[in-house]
Parts: sequence; C-alpha cells; structure tokens
Amino acid sequence: MILNEEQRMLQQSVADFLDAEAPITALRTLRDAPPEQSFDASLWRQMVELGLPALTVPEAYGGVELGWMGLGAVCQEAGRRLSASPLISSAVLAQSVVLHCASLSQRELLLPAMVSGDWTASLALDDGSHFQGISTSCSVSEGRLNGTKYLVMDAAQASRLLVVAQREDTGLGVAVIDVDTDGVSVVPVRLMDGRGYADIQLENVAVAETDWLAGDDVVAGLERALAIATVALAAEMMGGARELLERTVAYLCEREQFGVKIGTFQALQHRCAQLYCDLELAQSAVDAALTALDYGSDDIAAMASAAKAMANDCFQSMSNQAVQLHGGMGVTDEMDIGLFLKRSRVCNQLLGDADWHRRRFAAAQGF
Amino acid sequence: MTDTFDKKAFRAEMAAWLEANCPKSQRQPINQAEQIWGGRRRRFPSADAQAWFEAARDRGFTAPEWPEQYGGAGFSSEQAKILRQEMKRLGCRPPLYELGIWMLGPALLVYGNEAQKQQHLRAICRGEVRWAQGYSEPGSGSDLASLRTKAEDKGDHFLVNGTKIWTTKADECDWIFCLVRTDEEAPKQQGISFLLIDMATEGVSTTPIPLINGDSEFCQTFFDNVRVPKENLVGELNKGWSVAKELLKHERKMMSNTDDMIEQLDFDLVESAKANFGTDSDGALQSAELRSRIAQHLMRDRAVKQLGERVFWQTKAGQLDQRLPLLLKHLGTSEVQVADELVLEVLGKAGLRMADTQGESDNVKLTKRWAFNKALTIAGGTSEIQLNIIAKRALGLPSGEGAA
Repeated sequence: MILNEEQRMLQQSVADFLDAEAPITALRTLRDAPPEQSFDASLWRQMVELGLPALTVPEAYGGVELGWMGLGAVCQEAGRRLSASPLISSAVLAQSVVLHCASLSQRELLLPAMVSGDWTASLALDDGSHFQGISTSCSVSEGRLNGTKYLVMDAAQASRLLVVAQREDTGLGVAVIDVDTDGVSVVPVRLMDGRGYADIQLENVAVAETDWLAGDDVVAGLERALAIATVALAAEMMGGARELLERTVAYLCEREQFGVKIGTFQALQHRCAQLYCDLELAQSAVDAALTALDYGSDDIAAMASAAKAMANDCFQSMSNQAVQLHGGMGVTDEMDIGLFLKRSRVCNQLLGDADWHRRRFAAAQGF
Repeated sequence: MTDTFDKKAFRAEMAAWLEANCPKSQRQPINQAEQIWGGRRRRFPSADAQAWFEAARDRGFTAPEWPEQYGGAGFSSEQAKILRQEMKRLGCRPPLYELGIWMLGPALLVYGNEAQKQQHLRAICRGEVRWAQGYSEPGSGSDLASLRTKAEDKGDHFLVNGTKIWTTKADECDWIFCLVRTDEEAPKQQGISFLLIDMATEGVSTTPIPLINGDSEFCQTFFDNVRVPKENLVGELNKGWSVAKELLKHERKMMSNTDDMIEQLDFDLVESAKANFGTDSDGALQSAELRSRIAQHLMRDRAVKQLGERVFWQTKAGQLDQRLPLLLKHLGTSEVQVADELVLEVLGKAGLRMADTQGESDNVKLTKRWAFNKALTIAGGTSEIQLNIIAKRALGLPSGEGAA
C-alpha cells in the first residue's frame, strides 16, 4: 500500500519531466490540432526513453518490473497535469492484452517492440455507446472480419489494432491488425477531453490464423488486461481529482468576499473536507487494487471495479464542486478547471461507468 | 523491512496459542449480553467465557501492546496486528471490553506518573476495574472546553462539584476519568485538569438516560462535594487538555475500528436481500436500485478498512501522511449508518419492532442497533467537528470568527 524508495524516485522524476514537457498548456495545444493527432509523438518518444512502457513488463520481454504501485504513481502524475499520451491505451492496456492473451512466441515478437517504442497499439473492443465488458458484435466469417468499433483510444496514431471479435468456432478472439490493412478505415475524433480517439470500420478485413493471439485462455487474459487498465485509469483519475482539490482549496484561501477569505465559511469548509474524505477513500480502493496486482489476489476483478466506480464518483463530484467553488471563473476556458471536468466525464465512460462497475462488483460478490 | 522477528513463526505461535486456549464456544459472533466488561460487576456468561478471559488476561492479550510490567504482552504494533488478524481469522471473541484499555490506558502510559501506572494499568488489563469517561456536560458538548465541573484545591484534596453526561454505563463503573476546571480565570482550554475519581466516594451519584433504542447505555453522573486525593491528578495542574487530546486520539481510533465497537450480529445483508427481494437467473438481485446501493456501500466499507491499512503501512515505514488518521472516524461511522439503513430497508416491516414479548429476536437486535448507532456520528466528536478539524488541519483552510 506504499511506494518503495525506487518507486518514489520514479514518481518524482516523472513529475519533474511532465512539468517540463507535458503541462496543461500541452493539452491545450493538442486539442487545437487536427483530430488525426491523438498525442504528441515526440513527447511519447521521451516517455519511452524514460522507460515508462517497460515499468510493469517482465524482464524477459525487455521490461523492468518496477511494480504496479509505481505505475499507479506515474498515472497519477499524468492525471494531475492532464498529460495526453498512449500510456494507458498502449503501454498498459494493449501491452497487457498481449502479455495475457498471446502465445509465448507472439509475446517475444510483439512486447519488446512496444516497450522500445517502435509502435503503439490500441484495443478495439467497444462497439456501442456504453462499455459492456468483453462482448462484441464484431465477427469473423470465412477469414473475413466485419464490424465497427466505437471511439478507440489513441487509435488514429496507433500502428496496430487489437480487435476483439467473435471467431467462427473458438469463441472470442483478439486479432492483431495493421491499420493499413485493406478494409480498415479509421475516422479520427477529438472528444471533449482534447484527446484523440477513432471510430473504426472493419469491412471484409482478411485475418490470417497467425494474426490471432494464441494464448491458453484468451477470455481470461482479456479480463485480466481490462482489470489492469481499469485500475491504471482509476489511478490517473485520482491524480486529476487531487489536483482539483488542491487548486480549489488554494482559491478559497485567496478569494475574498464580504471582507473575508471565502475559505473561512464553514459551509465551504465542510464541503471541501467531505470531498477530501471521499478522495482518500477512493485512493485507498485504488491503492489496494494496485497492491493486489503486485502481490496477487483472487479478487482482482471486484477490486478493480471498486476502484473504478469510486474513482468515477469521486472525480465527477470533485470536478463539479471545483467549478462551483471557483465561481464565475470556474466556467471560463481560461481556467484549467473545465479541462479536468471534461476529462472526468470521458474517463467515466472509458472501461466502464460507475453503474457497470457496481453491477460487476455485485455479481462478483454473488448478488 | 527492519523487522527483527520472524513473522511467519510468530503468526504460527499466535495461532497455536489461540487454538489451545480459546474454546470453540468463544469463536462465535458475540452478542451484547455475552461481552465481558471489567470491574466489580464483572460476570461471565459461561465457564468457557471465563476460561478464555483468564487465559487471555494471563498472557497479556487484553492489552497486547502495553508493557509486560503493567499486564500487557509488550507487543510491537506489527505483532499486535498479527495477533488481531489471527483472532479474527479464528473468530475469537474479544476477551475483555473496557474503556480503560481503549482510552485511559494509552493516555496514562504517556502522561501518568509511575505510581498511577502501577495503581491502574494492571487492574485495567486484568478486568478488575471498569472505567467511565467524564468529558461532556449538559452545557458542554462539541464545545468541550467550556466545561464547568470544578475541582477546588483544598490543600490535601480537590473538592469536586458539577455533573458529567453521556457517561457510558456509569452505573456499572468503578472509576471515572474526568476533565475538571481548576482555574476559572484562565482562557478556557488552559484552566482544565485531568482527574481520576473513585466512584465509590461519597457524593458521586449516577442516573441512567433512556435512549431511542429503549436501553440506557449512557448516564448522567453528579458530583456533590466529592473529595478527591491530590495524587489522582494526571499530568500537570491546568494542563489536562493535553491529556484529553491524547485520549481523544485513541477514542477517534477506537471509534474508527467499527468492527470492534459495534455489536456483531449474525446477519448477512446480501443473503437477506436476496431472500427478500429475489434474484434473476444470473443470481443478480431483482431490485437493481438496491443492488447498486448495496454494492456501493460494500465498496466504501472495504475502502474504509483499506484506508486504515494505508495508515498502518505508512506508519510502519515512517511516512505517515498525518492527514489520513483524521478521516477515519467520520468515514467509518457514516458507513456504519449506511449499513444500518440498508439492514432496515431489507428487513422491511419485519424490522419495525423495538421489543419482543419473549426475549430479544435477531431482528429486534438489528433494529435496536440501528437506533443506537445514531450516536456514533455524535459521540467522540460529532461528524461536524470532524469536518471542522479536517478542513483546518488537513486542508489548511483559514479559521473564521466563532468557528471551533
């Protein structure tokens, strides 16, 4: 539940790096770029040089195995600065899918290339407006893949898509598809968080047997990878929520009305104190889930769902209150508060909203 | 890790000792009537209960973290945690319930003189004395420092006059630790002293206060010209507020540890909800709304415990974020009340009785617990006071006029 010495140093160096290279102004630049640009490639190159995609990958595939608590700290620092990168979409989610769904030879082929930043990949799973876990209407017939994938993270700039689809006889599978393959069309979209997503159309895309990830249990692997990415995203959200609370408290200590600092008003103090309670409560669920990833647990799906549901609720109410407590300034684009508000709502929908995670938690607990 | 002890071996040793000394009958959930409290009215519901109490007492397990010379086991916090975990795993009942262990003892260890430690600590661990807390007064609740019960210096003794309220089970207690005013001129927090009073002294009387659950857990205690020996002053004269704060820290900790605080009844919220509301073919609760709220509660309930774990590991690593312990009382007690409301909702009309004609059924116990637990967010510093403290000490928000 706590960071070790090495992880603390990592957190500090990532914080310093992001302050210099990816502050919130960088997100403002990205949001004004054409939608084809999902992230700043040169920034990502530097993050790769810092070793971020290698953090939780086994050494056999070029990783450093620094642990999930360390990765969580990195995601949190990114969340504090709304730093846009394929950290979660590729380095956490796509890499975890490969690690847990691929055969040994596929892992040896794919992972080192992703860790060294040769290319990024995105998991193309959702085909509707709401995340529904690992179900999809995308399917393969006679070696041809058809379907649509909705708002895939960072996909416009990814080299490969990991497409989840129903196979003819072996159930759900994950195909590694090059974005340049015939029949794949990628429509870039910029969402309100300023980041890049893409709708994917798959029309009679030829898939060879060797394109399918061939691990022992692809569905279990996919569940595992989704749980991991869910926790990482929740960690990022906690960074955003924490930054908002600090900015809001600083504002209450500075803003004067009726001749006093508005932070002296008990109604506002209690609201902030309650937000802080809920923040640390959600943080505890996130840290517990990260620790469970490090040390193993048979309860990981429920812990990931608890972390995400609580992070969603926390970041949402924190961002609403941050706008409210900043008064008129809170609704201006000049303040960064609104950027956090919009990121919160996008995060809510990525990898499952609070209701979905509460339902999954309940199912895991037998009700 | 700086541990010098072999955790695995220690855990095995604890488990073996508990297996050997805690009878099977003492490994069931405990109800209120079966709790063993210290003092002259101490009674054992069964021979097994007595055997378990005596074994635990003699091994120092009623207060494992206290030094052995005062009747504890001299355990480190890590060792005590392992013991707690093993007790929980085996379902062992707490051998002794006692305010002296939870609150007074830790404060005496810091502020008491050697004679006071000798006189009181061992008696507390051994369940020989039951202590009451004399803090609040009818006119001094959240604003505790405005208290008016006074102790006048009469040379060889203090003369105490006044009244204390919400003194838990004072009618069954032997001693009471009190905050009393010893200087009426000083600013209010600086004229307070911490005094130990033997309740058998002439002039001490106690009246139970009937509560909304039909019981009388709390009393009002009156002091009418009570003579208290000078050596019963803990810490320095007029410096009682420091002792009180040390003690309140333990009270907050105790009240955060809701598992120990609250009567554990044999009731499974989830199973009961499934039985009363039905499930679909996937085993999901029929009421989606209730299902969602139960899930949210269970997540938050787990997270309160996980927050406690963070505090534990941070403390152990010497990296404690001092803000976190301030949150536990408010978060823990509110979540208990959420659980109580869910219980009542799941029971429906079967949860509306506060008394039975014959004995006390499980449903009545649950309903009485719901009513009693309304006190959790009031006692030991109201939730509003907790939020004041969090706003100022954790967030650094500025003090305004008249704020506590």
